[in-house]
Amino acid sequence: MVVEGLPRLRFSKASIGFVGDTPLIVDVEMTVNAGEIVGLTGRSGIGKTTLLRTAAGLISTLSGTVECCCTESTRAERGAIGLIPQRLGLVQHQSVGYNVILGALAKASLLQTAFSLPNRVMRDATRDAIEAVGLSDKTLESVNRLSGGQQRRVAIARAMVQNPQLLLADECLGELDAETAREIIDLLRSLARDHGMAILVVDHNPVRVRTFCDRVFQLRGHSLIPFDEEPADRGSTLPLVKEDSA
Amino acid sequence: MSEKTFQARLMQLVTRRPVLRIGLIIVVLLILIINHLGITLWKLVEGAGNLKRLGAEALPPDFSVLTERAGWAYPACTYESDFLCSPAVIGMTQTIEIAILATVFGMILSLPLAAMAATNLSPPWLAQSTRQVLAAMRVLPSLIWALIFVIVVGIGPLAGVLAMTMYTVGYLGKLQYEALEGVSKEPLEVARTMGLPRWQVARFFAIPEASNALLSQMLFMFEYNVRHGSVIGLVGAGGIGWYMNHYLSPFQQYDKVLALIIVLYFVVVAIDQISLRVRRNFIDGDAEYRKPRWRDVLITRDVQG
Repeated sequence: MVVEGLPRLRFSKASIGFVGDTPLIVDVEMTVNAGEIVGLTGRSGIGKTTLLRTAAGLISTLSGTVECCCTESTRAERGAIGLIPQRLGLVQHQSVGYNVILGALAKASLLQTAFSLPNRVMRDATRDAIEAVGLSDKTLESVNRLSGGQQRRVAIARAMVQNPQLLLADECLGELDAETAREIIDLLRSLARDHGMAILVVDHNPVRVRTFCDRVFQLRGHSLIPFDEEPADRGSTLPLVKEDSA
Repeated sequence: MSEKTFQARLMQLVTRRPVLRIGLIIVVLLILIINHLGITLWKLVEGAGNLKRLGAEALPPDFSVLTERAGWAYPACTYESDFLCSPAVIGMTQTIEIAILATVFGMILSLPLAAMAATNLSPPWLAQSTRQVLAAMRVLPSLIWALIFVIVVGIGPLAGVLAMTMYTVGYLGKLQYEALEGVSKEPLEVARTMGLPRWQVARFFAIPEASNALLSQMLFMFEYNVRHGSVIGLVGAGGIGWYMNHYLSPFQQYDKVLALIIVLYFVVVAIDQISLRVRRNFIDGDAEYRKPRWRDVLITRDVQG
């Protein structure tokens, strides 16, 4: 069980990733609370995705701690964390419905998964999520045939069915036109507001990310700092290792 | 003096041109191998005489293999029609049936093994040990597997099915784990972030993602099994090869064997063409956007309306 009142994601003095022998980001201090959208911005290649993948548990920290969806055992429950990667992670050649119902796997029983027999709750949740993202007429269509914006909606619908406590979204607004980006932002807001999800959004566009996030952090040099705050050493926005090698 | 100059020029040419040097090494190597194997031109000339005698006995092919009833067929044929009970039809049908069973059983067994052997789905110790198992199954060709199973379960199609299944698992397993290792890592990361166990990551993310390649490989394996199904019959494991062997030994009726080979050739060509069309649906152009349907392959668009 999730302990109420605790942040859904907490980095404490965490050092993350490495370029050669040097950590990519040091002393990360950040929290993401329930119902909150936190933005993470910074230049390309500076380590935004690495930080997100660390939060997802795909990469270990070099030092310090990362607590996700703090449970009594300090380990995330199954299905507690949802991920929308930069290229969305949809299963190609499969239908919209198939991709969306995958979100229900985390909560399915062994028998249901072994025999691929989703129950009524899962099917209803899938139908509702597809309807919420406006793709009801595309349920049986292969995701390969959808536009970039529609594919992003499928990924969000999958997250809605999973209903994680923490959603990690990597560049989920990238290369979208303004209107489609606005629709995706509205969907993210509804996830935070209606489902109480904690959402960490990575976006390379600092102007856009400030328009819809409750708090925004930026990566500069090797540090993660709140947006608008200048780093103590006023360092470059590029990792120091790259400066050295240059 | 002139000879020395020629040698010097030859050496200069060889050392300056790496392609020529490699070509020279290959030619020397081939000569050494041919010499080691005791192959002589005289044996080829002698063989030509035998080929002439074989041709005289085999031609024209005796197509009575399509009309005569094979009373000695195993298992016994119970149809009224002589055509349906002819050696060519029974043999070819058995070969295709063995290939179908071996391909389906092989696919069912190889898919979980392939998922275990894929390094992106399994821990290194499991992937490496499963690869060793698959490699061991591939070491023996289907003919040797057939010999083993003829000893174990006796003469007949069962030995053929078991032999082809074993080889299919080894061969298809390798193709499949390579296809699974080639899938995009992002869907797998989504699954891992959700906290799904490895088998669910493979079952619901990796295998569906690679489904087009996997189906294409299965069809390729079916073609392969039809072709090799004729060979395993020679050692008693059923199929058209068994009927060829019946005519070869002890009767040496080469004209009937040639007729069976011609029937086999046309069937294999027909299966290759059908398989090619089906596989094209899985791997080419349109497959990027549309999952192929069997209906599209088996029924023409005119009929579908």
